[in-house]
Amino acid sequence: MTSAVTITRHGGTGGRTAVAARARQVVKAYGSGETRVVALDHVDVDIARGQFTAIMGPSGSGKSTLMHCLAGLDTVTSGQIHLDETEITGLKDKKLTQLRRDRIGFIFQAFNLLPTLNALENITLPMDIAGRKPDKAWLGRVVDTVGLSERLKHRPTQLSGGQQQRVAVARALAARPEIIFGDEPTGNLDSRAGAEVLSFLRRSVDELGQTIVMVTHDPVAASYADRVLYLADGRIVDEMYKPTAEAVLDRMKDFDARGRTS
Amino acid sequence: MTVLKTSMRNFFAHKGRMALSAVAVLLSVAFVCGTLVFTDTMNTTFDKLFATTASDVTVAPRTAKSDDTPQNGKPESLPASTVQQVTKADGVKSAEGAVSSMNVTVVDRDNKNMGASGGAPTIAGNWTRNDLRSMEITSGHAPRGPTELMVDADTAEKHHLELGDELRTISVTGDFTAKIVGIATFKVTNPGAAVVYFDTPTAQRELLGATDRFTQVYVNAATGVSDTQLKRNVAQTLDGTYKIQTAKENADENREGVDSFMGVIKYAMLGFAGIAFLVGIFLIINTFSMLVAQRTREIGLMRAVGSSRGQVNRSVLVEATLLGVVGSILGVGAGVGIAIGLMKLMSAAGMNLSTDDLTIKATTPIAGVLLGVVVTVLAAYLPARRAGKVSPMAALRDAGTPADGKAGLVRGLIGLVLTGAGGFALYTAGTADKASEGSLMLAAGVVLTLIGFVVIGPLLAGGVVRVLSAVLLRGFGPVGRMAERNALRNPRRTGATGAALMIGLALVACLSVVGSSMVASATSELDKSVGADFIVQGNQRIVPQAEKAMQDSPGLAHVTRYKELLATLTSPDGKKDDSGVTAADPTYAQDLRRVTTAGTLTAAYGKDAMSVGSDYAKAHGVHVGDTIDVAFKGGETAKLKVAAITDDDSALDQGARYISIETMRKYVPADQIPPNTIMFAKAEAGQSEQAYAALKKSLHDYPQYQVRDQTDYKQELKDQIGQLLNMVYGLLALAIIVAVLGVVNTLALSVVERTREIGLMRAIGLSRRQLRRMIRMESVVIALFGALLGLGLGMGWGATAQKLLALEGLKVLEIPWPTIIAVFVGSAFVGLLAALIPAFRAGRMNVLNAIATD
Repeated sequence: MTSAVTITRHGGTGGRTAVAARARQVVKAYGSGETRVVALDHVDVDIARGQFTAIMGPSGSGKSTLMHCLAGLDTVTSGQIHLDETEITGLKDKKLTQLRRDRIGFIFQAFNLLPTLNALENITLPMDIAGRKPDKAWLGRVVDTVGLSERLKHRPTQLSGGQQQRVAVARALAARPEIIFGDEPTGNLDSRAGAEVLSFLRRSVDELGQTIVMVTHDPVAASYADRVLYLADGRIVDEMYKPTAEAVLDRMKDFDARGRTS
Repeated sequence: MTVLKTSMRNFFAHKGRMALSAVAVLLSVAFVCGTLVFTDTMNTTFDKLFATTASDVTVAPRTAKSDDTPQNGKPESLPASTVQQVTKADGVKSAEGAVSSMNVTVVDRDNKNMGASGGAPTIAGNWTRNDLRSMEITSGHAPRGPTELMVDADTAEKHHLELGDELRTISVTGDFTAKIVGIATFKVTNPGAAVVYFDTPTAQRELLGATDRFTQVYVNAATGVSDTQLKRNVAQTLDGTYKIQTAKENADENREGVDSFMGVIKYAMLGFAGIAFLVGIFLIINTFSMLVAQRTREIGLMRAVGSSRGQVNRSVLVEATLLGVVGSILGVGAGVGIAIGLMKLMSAAGMNLSTDDLTIKATTPIAGVLLGVVVTVLAAYLPARRAGKVSPMAALRDAGTPADGKAGLVRGLIGLVLTGAGGFALYTAGTADKASEGSLMLAAGVVLTLIGFVVIGPLLAGGVVRVLSAVLLRGFGPVGRMAERNALRNPRRTGATGAALMIGLALVACLSVVGSSMVASATSELDKSVGADFIVQGNQRIVPQAEKAMQDSPGLAHVTRYKELLATLTSPDGKKDDSGVTAADPTYAQDLRRVTTAGTLTAAYGKDAMSVGSDYAKAHGVHVGDTIDVAFKGGETAKLKVAAITDDDSALDQGARYISIETMRKYVPADQIPPNTIMFAKAEAGQSEQAYAALKKSLHDYPQYQVRDQTDYKQELKDQIGQLLNMVYGLLALAIIVAVLGVVNTLALSVVERTREIGLMRAIGLSRRQLRRMIRMESVVIALFGALLGLGLGMGWGATAQKLLALEGLKVLEIPWPTIIAVFVGSAFVGLLAALIPAFRAGRMNVLNAIATD
């Protein structure tokens, strides 16, 4: 049994809990019998509201699977996942789709934008799909923060990789989701563009109070987070608060070495 | 070798994506093979029939032809003494006189016509030993005496006839009722003729009106004498007024008529198969373009590791060959099925065809497979070339679909030039003075505008799709907008998909415009110039007893006889013209109001007077008052004075020369006067309804003639044209089905191509329903794009054809808006239908797999 439930379950102001998402005893297994592979092995995790959480781990550790399950993209084999007070495990596709549309934001590693829509259309897409009018003032603020106001009418192919990812971040933010999930959002960017996107994510947590969960294998990226969770073999094996790139790297080398000797 | 291996692997790895292309090839090849097998089978059937019916040598009057009847309605005959003369010739084993007439109608007790409805003749004759070659008596006995007849088994079965039933034979010599005493069965397949037999004296009396004549003599050779030798011997004993044929010559002559008819069917159907192929080409081009696009990285890698352009190019073509082979082989099989289906259909329509005769020539599968493979490979050539041009760098570039195919300036220019040239050709055709010149221009215009539209299609796609979307998809918010963008993102693909549909629908629109213009023109012409209340005609010329029944019918102000006579005209300039004259009662001038350019029509019905058409008058410098020598066939030569010149700008009776029945009687002996081709009648004032009912009753005994008033006549005309159009639409359905498969194909491949996009949209909250709706709308927009282009183009063609045919009497242009609108709306539904499966598959797509990075 692994656990990363270390945050007290209240303390936020108002009605909202301090935990934006939580997983209890989550198991994700593929196949059955001899070929059964366990991607997540009884994981407990709480994602704190208004914090930037990074999930790290070597390839095949289950970090992406965890994120997909938390985000309602994938189903779990057993256990429960709550988003705020809503249990999302067991929800039907229709409800899950609505939930993703209205309460979750996504930033993928690549291919975040629809090539047929321009930057602004891409940003407002989730709200358009839901048939909601975007909050003009908020949208303006998001666009300004991302620094894209000059390029809103451009199609994705006319934007650089970093700009494209910033549009993706803006889209994730624009609908004011309860939580944003990022799957290696800087994985395809050079270090400068990556830094731009990461500091923007950091600022959206600090200034806009956004909750962000990001999967990464890059210690530098992880260093932007408030808290780092380490996954290995489908379990949470460690966590670190206020990480620095060096500390993260050391910790990872440590795991690596342990993995090799054990 | 490796090229082949990769091609094979690719082919089988993507067999799902190839499936629809294979179906398109299959359908087209099946149609071609089906047509060939069907017509070959028909030919076999007729060959067998004609081979068994002919005697070694047949002697007939010189002028006799198997397929037309002489003008007096009785078959050409020869004296009975010919039989004795022939018997004297060397090498003759036997000779017997035969009577056979195709100008008869046989009805049962309830006045139901025993003949086949679809053009096959009714044949009445005497039962001869020669008939035993092809038939055997399977029930009862051969007819003996004046009250007995024998009928063929197929007819008996079709009309539930039994021994003892009475049949009435209607011929120009009168009505004659006899009892069935025998039923004879064909040993080979008889495609549809109804056959009745009498004994010889009865047949002579009732069919020829003379007991000392025959229509032909069947001669059989003694052992060891060849047909040609026998023919020579027979010819020596007879003078030159006979036509003497060997069995083979006779069969060949019989075949001629069938051949030309079968040829029309064959080439018409092959034409439709060709259209389906053309449409299929677009589908194949799209498939390979998309496969190549999806495989760009892979191809780049092949190039990077050293494959030459040629190798890449070839590997795609090898795949196309495989596709062509698989599709064609299946198509050949399906073609045999289609042929059998057609035979069943023909049987249902009253024709007898037996699958025993099913003829699959070796050339049929060869032609089918060759055609299928060549067309597929040709269609894949452009995409293959594009694949060859993929740079090795493509392997290194980011994944995803390559840059969208942009419709270029050059394409636009070429398209515009072609369309412009086509438009000019159409304009020239529309304003042509002569139909023959115009029709060439029309054909050129049709082909050029079609190619022009295909070329320019991708450019038009932009504008047309935007407009369609603005009108239709506005209410669907972002889903509609994305559908529009998707339809627009690859104009070349949308253009090609739409173009496939365009071809079929353009033909539908064109034909429907021409068809309804035909109806409208005929209707307006009928309204304008037909004064008769009732029109009587049928596929047998009107026999005297029916003519009398009509004349005795109550409530008629007048009855008009109308006879077509063979005659040679010699105009004052000495030129001869043998298109004959029309003899009618003077009341015909009221029944059909012809405009005259000189003289009056009534005067033409005066004694020794006539009228000629304006074209003839112009060509030969004939004026009113001139005299024309008219040599009547079987009669004397008359000197007739031209009393009227009719305007040839007319759809009815164009070019006819009129004389009165009385004038005709003066020069043509009674036994040479032909039966009426058609008859007209006018009701007494205020009695039209009663007169119509009475006339129908009077002609009830003669079901071979249709009695129609003007309303029914117009309706009949409309129905006939409607039927013809429906048949053509049915054949075009094949091309349209292939085009719809093309839409399905494009969507299905697009969905595969856009897997990641769809995954992304689903991840950020697009519901399955919205996703499916988006794909359906894209499909509808593409289908409507094709429909709009096709209908527009087709209406243009149709209107031009009408303008051109106005010279031939097609004066009124009528656009059948209900049909056009129905086709347009139908296309939207076709679009919805085409999207069903792709939308379903897209909806089922796993979000995680879709967004997974490699």
